[in-house]
Amino acid sequence: MEGTEQYALESYQWLMGRILMDMGMSNMVERVKLTIRPDQTLFIVSLRVKHSSGKRPVYDIAEIKAQEGGTFIEIKDESYAPRLMATLWRLYGRDRVQQLTRLEVFVEGVSAKELSDLKLDPEEETRSQLLDAIWRLLPEGLKVRHEFYDNNTMTIVATEHGMTVDFIEEAKKVHQYMIREVEE
Amino acid sequence: MYEVLMYDGGVHKVEELFDLIEDIGGFVLQKTQVQVMIIITMAIPSEDRPLVERKTAELGGKIIEVPLAGTEIAVIGPTLGRHHMPHPICDIAEHLRRYGAITIVMGLARGRGRKTCQISAEEKAIIEEYDAAIFMLGNFKECVTHEKIDLFKDIQIPVVTVIGPEVDSLPHCEALVCGVGRKVERMRRAEEIAKLEEIADRVKEVIDVRRMEIEEDPLFVHPSEIKDILDEMDAVQECLRPAPVVLHVDGLRVKIPYKKHLREMEELEVYGRKLKDIAIISDCRLGDSTIIKIRTKAEVEGAIKD
Repeated sequence: MEGTEQYALESYQWLMGRILMDMGMSNMVERVKLTIRPDQTLFIVSLRVKHSSGKRPVYDIAEIKAQEGGTFIEIKDESYAPRLMATLWRLYGRDRVQQLTRLEVFVEGVSAKELSDLKLDPEEETRSQLLDAIWRLLPEGLKVRHEFYDNNTMTIVATEHGMTVDFIEEAKKVHQYMIREVEE
Repeated sequence: MYEVLMYDGGVHKVEELFDLIEDIGGFVLQKTQVQVMIIITMAIPSEDRPLVERKTAELGGKIIEVPLAGTEIAVIGPTLGRHHMPHPICDIAEHLRRYGAITIVMGLARGRGRKTCQISAEEKAIIEEYDAAIFMLGNFKECVTHEKIDLFKDIQIPVVTVIGPEVDSLPHCEALVCGVGRKVERMRRAEEIAKLEEIADRVKEVIDVRRMEIEEDPLFVHPSEIKDILDEMDAVQECLRPAPVVLHVDGLRVKIPYKKHLREMEELEVYGRKLKDIAIISDCRLGDSTIIKIRTKAEVEGAIKD
């Protein structure tokens, strides 16, 4: 934590903890750095998450059966169901993906081979969860925001009026520090 | 002087309590019956309180102090966004209701931010229709002490400011409570409940000061006496909104359309005088309601002599 007001730092640290707990992300986050300078209207928050489990093939989490006119999928690992459905809808459209029951899906006009080769990428979901957590934390008035995301680290710098080069440079340094620090 | 109390007990023989309230010249402000239990909010002359206490004991009920009964208080946040709502704004509003206040929650249209926060004249006028306002601000000392104070600078009713950081005092507000700030969960820990109590105490203090000011130049009638008369109106009886008549320290809010019922209200008779002669009746800025501000005894009697 770094900043000009001790109360603000402590309270935002507590808020961050509660927000992550609320979203069920406490175990995902490895490290957080906050820089708060109300006098300059500068807020930098950087979060590093633990290495995500990597891409998982569909055959790993579901049973795939070729059928006439398409492929029948029975999801075995329920926790992947929302991600699988979202991927199928995105790739084939809602008309071709019929959700028969909670864990049974029929995909029209797609071969079983094609579906077995499909891999589910958790990175996008992690990114959107992180964004959601940070946006919940950031003061509402700080609408001008700039974001960095790589190597499982997300840094957002926010201010009220105009984003300055100095603010972005400082956020970059925080971002690099977070990546380096954890790797070391 | 009238005192507002709450009876909490059973319905058995409760008619005797209603009769007593009527006999001593008191008023029933609200009654809520749930199966065999009933809660009655009443306004009674202070000197007759022992009679009511005796009757309550006889009926097996209890008397609860409601120091904020007969007031309507606005709890205001910078916006209605999830950064400020529902906690702690709703927690404060809910806690004040336990002391008998009617509370409303309000978010400003452009109240968020440091340099960009602002309040419109319309918003100020709406806030000034209430007896007191609580401004719930954030965690940055610099922001609160330099910028946010302008939000309540010209507000003509008592303001209690609730903020996160510890500061000794703030200008333009009658009371200050520090150590609350932004929350993302309900205020239910012991120290948080203590803060809610502190806020309620500060509100009670500013309302007491307001009541004492009124007592120096007393109103022609107590608002509850007008409520009793308004309750007889068909429009009020047919009104489906919760608490159709809300008491203020110096008047009432009646939740019936101003334009439609103005003539009828003006002609209501209060102790031999028309309501229009003893009160200022005006349109409410929020949805189809009417605000009645009771004139002081001196104003009414002076006007008659003229």
